[in-house]
Amino acid sequence: MTEYDYDELGLVAGLEIHQQLDTATKLFCNCPTELRDPEESTRRFTRYLHPTRSELGEIDEAALEESRVDREFEYLAYDTTCLVEEDDEPPHRLDDEALETALEIAQLMDMQPIDQAHVMRKIVVDGSNTSGFQRSTLIAVDGEIETGEGAVGIEDLMLEEESAQRVEETDDGVVYSLDRLGIPLVEIGTSPDISTPEQAREAAERIGMLLRSTGRVKRGLGTIRQDVNVSIAEGARVEIKGVQSLDDIDDIVRTEVGRQAELVEIAAELGARDASVGDTVDVTEVFEDTDSGVIRGALDAGGSVTAVPLYGFDGLVGREIAPDRRLGTEFSDHAKRHGAGGIFHTDELPAYGVTEAEVAALREAVGAGSEDAVAIVAAATEVAESAIEAVAERAESALEGVPEETRGANDDGTTRYLRPLPGAARMYPETDVPPVEPDPSAVPEPELLTEKVDRYQAEYDLDAGLAEQVAYGEYMPLFESVVDGVSASDASGGSSDSSDGVDPTLAATTLESTLTELRRDDVPVANLADDHLEESLRLVDDGEIPKEAVGDLLSALADEPSLTAEEAVEREDLGGVSEDEVREAILEVVERNEKQVEEEGMQAFSGLMGECMGALRGKADGDLVSRLLREEIQKRA
Amino acid sequence: MNPGDRVRVERAGHTYEGVLLPSSTDEHLVVKLEGGYNVGIDREHADAEVIEEDVYDVVEETSTGRDLSDHDVAGAQDDDGESEIEFDDELPTISLISTGGTIASTVDYRTGAVTAQFDAEDVLRAVPDLAGRANYRGRVVANILSENMTPEVWQELAEAVVEEVEAGADGVVVMHGTDTMQFTASALAFMLETPVPIVFTGSQRSADRPSSDNVMNAVCAVEAAKSDCAEVLVCMHASESDDRCALHRGTRVRKNHTSRRDAFETVGAEPLGEVDYDTGEVSFRRAHERRGETDLAIEPALESDVELVKFTPGMDPAFLDVVEGKSGLILEGTGLGHVHTDLVPRLEELIDDGTTVVMTSQCLEGRVCDRVYDTGRDLLDAGVLEAGDTLPGTAKVKLMWALANAADVEEAMATSLAGELQRRSVPWE
Repeated sequence: MTEYDYDELGLVAGLEIHQQLDTATKLFCNCPTELRDPEESTRRFTRYLHPTRSELGEIDEAALEESRVDREFEYLAYDTTCLVEEDDEPPHRLDDEALETALEIAQLMDMQPIDQAHVMRKIVVDGSNTSGFQRSTLIAVDGEIETGEGAVGIEDLMLEEESAQRVEETDDGVVYSLDRLGIPLVEIGTSPDISTPEQAREAAERIGMLLRSTGRVKRGLGTIRQDVNVSIAEGARVEIKGVQSLDDIDDIVRTEVGRQAELVEIAAELGARDASVGDTVDVTEVFEDTDSGVIRGALDAGGSVTAVPLYGFDGLVGREIAPDRRLGTEFSDHAKRHGAGGIFHTDELPAYGVTEAEVAALREAVGAGSEDAVAIVAAATEVAESAIEAVAERAESALEGVPEETRGANDDGTTRYLRPLPGAARMYPETDVPPVEPDPSAVPEPELLTEKVDRYQAEYDLDAGLAEQVAYGEYMPLFESVVDGVSASDASGGSSDSSDGVDPTLAATTLESTLTELRRDDVPVANLADDHLEESLRLVDDGEIPKEAVGDLLSALADEPSLTAEEAVEREDLGGVSEDEVREAILEVVERNEKQVEEEGMQAFSGLMGECMGALRGKADGDLVSRLLREEIQKRA
Repeated sequence: MNPGDRVRVERAGHTYEGVLLPSSTDEHLVVKLEGGYNVGIDREHADAEVIEEDVYDVVEETSTGRDLSDHDVAGAQDDDGESEIEFDDELPTISLISTGGTIASTVDYRTGAVTAQFDAEDVLRAVPDLAGRANYRGRVVANILSENMTPEVWQELAEAVVEEVEAGADGVVVMHGTDTMQFTASALAFMLETPVPIVFTGSQRSADRPSSDNVMNAVCAVEAAKSDCAEVLVCMHASESDDRCALHRGTRVRKNHTSRRDAFETVGAEPLGEVDYDTGEVSFRRAHERRGETDLAIEPALESDVELVKFTPGMDPAFLDVVEGKSGLILEGTGLGHVHTDLVPRLEELIDDGTTVVMTSQCLEGRVCDRVYDTGRDLLDAGVLEAGDTLPGTAKVKLMWALANAADVEEAMATSLAGELQRRSVPWE
């Protein structure tokens, strides 16, 4: 990939990070924040949404656009959702735990909390919220985080409700699942202070670390989403939605800078050529006898071919502006949004079954010369007409340079056109929820993950690698609570009296190494609840089962999560063998090998150790076996 | 500095800029920021200045809740503010009468709550789906929350309905807050003889949300008002889905849930009918009064001096002193229709004193029967009347009407006047 001089290009980037919180209940009701399988749904119902005027008397254009089609929304409800998610009961008060977590995050970013936070309704009529709006509250403003390339401002932090999960599209509309609706979410927006792709990634990583330091954010796929805003001096603000992985952020920024720089160059070239976009034309006749599969298919279905002459565009429509994406790809994105499958353009023709003669006839039909390009759409007549208009419109903006827009992140680090930038003024107050006055003094400042890594080494004697794994890992809150001897279900904090706590090395290796191994062996580790892990660790720590058995125990629990750890120990027969039983088994082994013991003395130890462990089938603690075996050998030596 | 001004507020080193909104407390300045969020800023620690006065007309909105001159938004009006809706001879004429309530409500900045402010034309604007189903007449009888409803407004409403029918309405839709809709519907059922449907509707979820039930309820109510059923009906969601509305007899319906769309239920029977939202088809389960069979008549007189008292264990007998001298008393007794034995003599005194005392049951489902147990027999001996399976709230309205209009109140209370008293106990029908 070309490296650009970002300073010279005037790169300005900002981030918007959405992170689900791991609270006990949802933001506006007392349902658990648990995701479900659509097949577990116990009820379903259907609704329509009707757009309303916002508080200041305006209708949001995006909202209107979405509502033009009369779509039916079907919702799946569960035994973990209630009337609030169904919009059949007013929201309860803003969840305290979520507010506290949001304030904790605000504090970590040096933000100023709002004196009186007002819950707002953000109109969303795509059905993803049963109410037709998303509830969102500005909690804090004006913070800052550090990066190696300077400070990045944090403009705002919002506490909002997660939307319902889209399950499928049907002929009539969309099916949504209510399990996710109402899970608390923080949205963090940075100032446009980011000036290199690396800084964008570093800022995102820093924010992610701060979020996880609270120990109260959800983990796993889809629980964090990153949007990136990018512009260069001569370009335009482009909002890129849905960057799934932190690792992609620098690539996304780099690619977007490239795209904007190329579009600027193309605009300059078009200007020099005095290029223009002509009127759209129906060119169905040109392709009457075509052998092109795509076009033939559209025409046989009664459709049309429409075209737009792009004067002075020759060679530029096919010009690459991002890896494997051309200006023509942008045109195509717009055509797709209007229902077409895509476009063909003369920079790539003849191809796809379109002959040279047809290209010549096409150019002739629209009055395009050799220095010009032509784009065509083949589809149902109505689609072909609106799609080619959209292409013409996009081509017009290519004359200007970079259009402002919302784009979606692709898996390969490129982006695609989604929709115009959303307008403002689509929020009005949520009158069902009274404003809250956050009290930042009541919020403890959490220890940063970086600080945890140091402490785990100093206090718990973990090596640096394991300390980092635990601190940054999913099980950090559980680790801390079991090591501190506080039940995970109790509030965090707790006593520093570690006498009740589980051995830190045992906890760390089990939660990181053992679980990783199990995962590698395809054990459904995700089924393990915190209770399972905590109980299992305690059983080992109390000597009820040998630590060698913890893998088998967790594996059994993962396969059957309805069991308690003790039940699983019983069922799998992992349970402690008493010291007497162990001694008995060892005696048997020693007596059987009496001769060897007498001859070799302690030299026989390692051979017999294996035999003893085998005889006890891993049910006894290795240290105990070793101690008793040594004793028995010594007696005879 | 006034609401509507663009302001800049300094607070602890941060600058907030936006439009000042009316605040609900003295301690906070509420500012709408550029991004649309409202924030409350501590007045005491804030340094505020006006950048531009009166950039937005929220003062007007404070009093009316919304700028009602802004007519062109929903498309029902042209630029002159004239209605674009033309009279269509092919369509029936439906009168829309507004009394206030959630179906026509929006935000009140001062209380932060939802209040009623639309007239009937606003409803047409708010519910464009009504267009093409009928010709509409609109009028406002009241603009009150339904908890503030009074018997006087019932009477005004009944008179208004009569005028509308006389003026040619083929059906009447009354938009009403849901809290006391069942009382008003009952009142009209007793006061009016009607040749056309009178259909009450409202919404449980406020009209200012895209998910409001007002659109489907209003559309189905209009379809019901065009139907053949010349009775007072309540038309509200039949389930939590936007698929069909139930039609309830005004005297048998009850709001049985605080917030659900399908809060309204017919007690002691299945709903009388149903409207399919998709097709607009209206169907009925049982026989009903038919369009045009009755001449329009009104007997609006009410004896307002009637109370409804719910008996519960531990009730202070002195409670009954409050109703001394009243014309009527509806008791909401326990079970088959009982009160504490010690209250029976006091009730006898009230009755001897001229108060009509009528027993209903707080079970709601089922029929009062005071012949089964001793307490009941004592109550009957004391002169207490039985309301059969009439709902307590309906019984109150009925007694108010009967005391003012019936020659024989005892006989009236034992007779079904408007479907309130079911002859047979067949709740599954």
